[in-house]
Amino acid sequence: MSVKELALNHSNTMKYSSFMLFNSLLLIIISSASWGCKDDANAIIDRNYQLVWEDEFNGAAGTAPDAAKWVYDIGIGPGNDGWGNQELQYYTDRPENIALDGQGNLAITARSENFGGRSFTSARIKTQGLFAQAYGRFEARMKMPWGPGIWPAFWMLGENIDLVAWPQCGEIDIMEYRGQQPNLIYGTVHGPGYSGGAAITKSFGFTNDRFDVDFHVFAIEWGVDYLDFFVDDTLYQRIRPEDVPGEWVFDQPFFLILNVAVGGNYVGFPTPQTPFPQTMLVDYVKVYTEVK
Amino acid sequence: MKNIKHHLQTLMLLSSLAILVVVSCKRELEDLEPAEFPNTPEVFIDGFSAGLNYGAFGGSKVTAFDVDTEVKYRGSASMKFSVPDAGDPQGAYAGGTYYTSVGRDLRGYDALTFWAKASKAATIDVVGFGNDFGESKFLTVLNNVQVNSNWQKFIIPIPDASKLTQERGMFFYSEGPEDGLGYTFWIDEVKFEKLGTLAHPRASILNGENQVSPAETGQQLTIGGLTATFNMPTGVDQSVSAAPGYFSFSSSDTSVATVHEAGVVTVLSSGDAVITARLGDIEATGSLTLSSTGGAVMPQTPAPTPTIGADSVISLFSNAYTNVTVDTWNTRWQFSTAEDFDLQIAGDDVKRYRNLNFVGIEFAAQPINATAMTHFHLDIWTPDPTDLPKAFKVLLVDFGANGIFGGNDDSQHELAFTRPTLVTGQWVSLDIPLSSFTGLTNRAHLAQLVLSGDIPNVYVDNVYFYKAGAVAPPSAPTTAAPTPPVRPAADVISIFSDAYTNVPGTDLNPNWGQATVVSQVQIAGNNTLRYGGLNYQGTQFGSNVDASAMTHLHIDFWTANSTLLNVFLISPGPVETSVSLTVPTNGWTSIDIPLSSFSPVAINNLIQFKFEGNGDIYLDNLYFHKGGGGATEPTTAAPTPTYNAANVISVFSNAYNNIPGTNLNPGWGQATQVSQVQIAGNNTLLYTGLNYQGIELGSNQNLTGMTHLHLNVWTGNSTALNVFLISPGPAEKPYALTVPTSGWATFDIPLTEFTPTVDLSNVFQFKFEGNGKIYLDNILFHN
Repeated sequence: MSVKELALNHSNTMKYSSFMLFNSLLLIIISSASWGCKDDANAIIDRNYQLVWEDEFNGAAGTAPDAAKWVYDIGIGPGNDGWGNQELQYYTDRPENIALDGQGNLAITARSENFGGRSFTSARIKTQGLFAQAYGRFEARMKMPWGPGIWPAFWMLGENIDLVAWPQCGEIDIMEYRGQQPNLIYGTVHGPGYSGGAAITKSFGFTNDRFDVDFHVFAIEWGVDYLDFFVDDTLYQRIRPEDVPGEWVFDQPFFLILNVAVGGNYVGFPTPQTPFPQTMLVDYVKVYTEVK
Repeated sequence: MKNIKHHLQTLMLLSSLAILVVVSCKRELEDLEPAEFPNTPEVFIDGFSAGLNYGAFGGSKVTAFDVDTEVKYRGSASMKFSVPDAGDPQGAYAGGTYYTSVGRDLRGYDALTFWAKASKAATIDVVGFGNDFGESKFLTVLNNVQVNSNWQKFIIPIPDASKLTQERGMFFYSEGPEDGLGYTFWIDEVKFEKLGTLAHPRASILNGENQVSPAETGQQLTIGGLTATFNMPTGVDQSVSAAPGYFSFSSSDTSVATVHEAGVVTVLSSGDAVITARLGDIEATGSLTLSSTGGAVMPQTPAPTPTIGADSVISLFSNAYTNVTVDTWNTRWQFSTAEDFDLQIAGDDVKRYRNLNFVGIEFAAQPINATAMTHFHLDIWTPDPTDLPKAFKVLLVDFGANGIFGGNDDSQHELAFTRPTLVTGQWVSLDIPLSSFTGLTNRAHLAQLVLSGDIPNVYVDNVYFYKAGAVAPPSAPTTAAPTPPVRPAADVISIFSDAYTNVPGTDLNPNWGQATVVSQVQIAGNNTLRYGGLNYQGTQFGSNVDASAMTHLHIDFWTANSTLLNVFLISPGPVETSVSLTVPTNGWTSIDIPLSSFSPVAINNLIQFKFEGNGDIYLDNLYFHKGGGGATEPTTAAPTPTYNAANVISVFSNAYNNIPGTNLNPGWGQATQVSQVQIAGNNTLLYTGLNYQGIELGSNQNLTGMTHLHLNVWTGNSTALNVFLISPGPAEKPYALTVPTSGWATFDIPLTEFTPTVDLSNVFQFKFEGNGKIYLDNILFHN
């Protein structure tokens, strides 16, 4: 089941961030410590990648994303429990919730409206059954929405989820964001023994900028024994097999997911002050394989 | 401890400081390179930052602010504010501003931040910056700041930091008691910061509304509701009130309306214009669409002149009456948008209301006792549509015996008026029986009148209470103006009179832009000039008039409703001088104004008359004359009769023995004033304001031996005069005398004119009927 279980609060995140700081062997990770500055110039690990899959989201305004690349998750989740997270929205495939914006972006829009028994609508798409890959570079260029209770994500699940269930299938959250902290994003992995509130995670924050003002590139570079998390050109987290307190399950193909949730365990409720509608713009999603 | 500069300044001292700053700026602009202003971000960290002063706001408790070294967020001290309890004699609230004498360059920051806590959960009314005790051009206000007993950080975003090149207003606050109770709050670590985490700037004018407003030339409107909104680092939006100085305003058509930097719109002409604004690069939401009609649409004629006698009226507003004291014609109650104007229409004072939703009119200082009145009257005029369901409402409020609003003895009632009573573009007279105000159980202490409804433009006149059934005075004369005496042509230059030859080619209604309606009407068969709704009115002489040989200007005038009337003579230049005429009149007033009164007008080169004033005026017999000459009274005695006394039975004559016991003024209910005057030493009988007048002979007279009735009559203005002989019955018969007279007229009337009606063997009375001022002498019978 493609259920995502997260019950991580902010203090947990901080604790794990600190943990990572002290256990990192790489100077580069220390220097990009959890509250890294936008202007920090971190050395890029020099790897050669070849583009194998992409969506530039070019197309007329109001049209749906490419059906050959994406499928929809509709509704409130198979357990009627807000996709395992008590999320408040109803996911639709309506253009009001998901469409190309005609300027080269995919727009996923969360709205405050009564629909399907819920008070909010939004959208979630994935490449499950259409594309999955193990290893390589996975990146998206995005501009975040904002406001308390808005929870957009660019993430991946193991393709074997229907066979082994979650969290055994593994989950890589390339980017998660809480609308009440518009200067922070999180990179996280979930697996057996380290899921939900015990997931391995780290935040990356701007001291004087926000993720909802301009586009930024969120990426992982994934190899046999590492997962490197990037914001733009900054590597802010490396997770290796010895860093996870359970089985390393990141050696099989994963598929991609893009969504904007409203409310839920991770982000909390939207408030009357949350401005709606809120749109996440995705300029592109690209997947590469490493060329040795 | 208090190692800080801590001044309580008076406003006066501060304003002089502000002047110094302005002067120094001007020098810089003209003569010097722009100065470097400090960019110090700190306002109050553990004490006043360099150059910072404090001034308490007027009416506030000046000791409300203090520095606290016990309670602080960080460091060694905080700012403590002691909000007074309600009724604190030292001040009603806590409020003041922290400002510098030399401006600071704040362009590198995006917010003012501070930490705050309070002794209890409370809402601070106002906190902000940009208050420099002067122009405060970049005032920025965060309203309703919720504080509690925990330290919290607050952020006041700078709407457009690029404007703050030399800001002096660093921080200010204002807070009153909550539920009547004072409390304490603390503020610490006040500083400007470059946060970088304020996003999505938006701006609005008129609170983001797209408003449409009718407008007219000359009108000024201020664009309000100016806000800047930012998304805070917490993802929520926060708005601040921003001064107009941050915005750049523009008008879509500057020929219709302009808007200057303070957001004040001036309407210049008719047409449509849309006022919008930008905050830096941001187009502000909200706009004002002005639909200008050009000049105000207003009535062209005054409201109908009231006809109720003043004795039966309590007037709040009317030129026809003496008005009671009204405290205000616009109480400007909250949410009232009404603007009031005083103006004149054709010389008549009118109240104008614009943007009327409701307006309070209060006369509480001297409440009106209308218990003796039966009706409430007002005249209204509107250019606005009056289609249903648009209504105009009239509310009367009685404050009761205690004379105060809300004192348990108030009563009130509101009435609404709709079409067909309401009409667009016409004066509508509302005569409302007070009995219709059913909820108005008392009307001995009326103190408020509230006008409201759906008609935004209303002109109001003649607001009064009255008692119905009162007799209305006539609105037009029923008698002709007195006929001028016959004069030699050389003694008169006439402009308008049937009695003389008028200057040919005279234009009685030249177009000088006046509102007056000029007409000629027949009054008792006499051609009379009427000025309806006078504001001013000229008369253009057919040719220049040399009146240097004349001595007086004569005017007959009549008005029931004018309260102001001036007459001007005009010679080229123009040189003009006015003389005030007493109005209103009681019947016709005849006046002979010495031409010297019009100095320095060139009497030998007159070109025009002008009348100014108000009301409806009837005029006749406008002419220049040489005066004297018996204009209003004889200057010579009546000719002395020369009959043989043996052939005379005399009633009134110095030349003969008169019938003894004759009553010259019997009380027959007449209006005529009877007197005897000496004319050139000769006793003369004078009837003034004749309607009729009797004479009762001292004894019944047998006149069969007589042949004629002899009379000497002089009248300059009578147009009708009959004389009657009367015998018991009574049996009477009139004889018409030709009037007015040219000097003394002598009538010898054959007594057969009175027969057979009158029994000449038994005559006991005379009677005169007619009008005007009559001089009589030598009333006698002879043969």
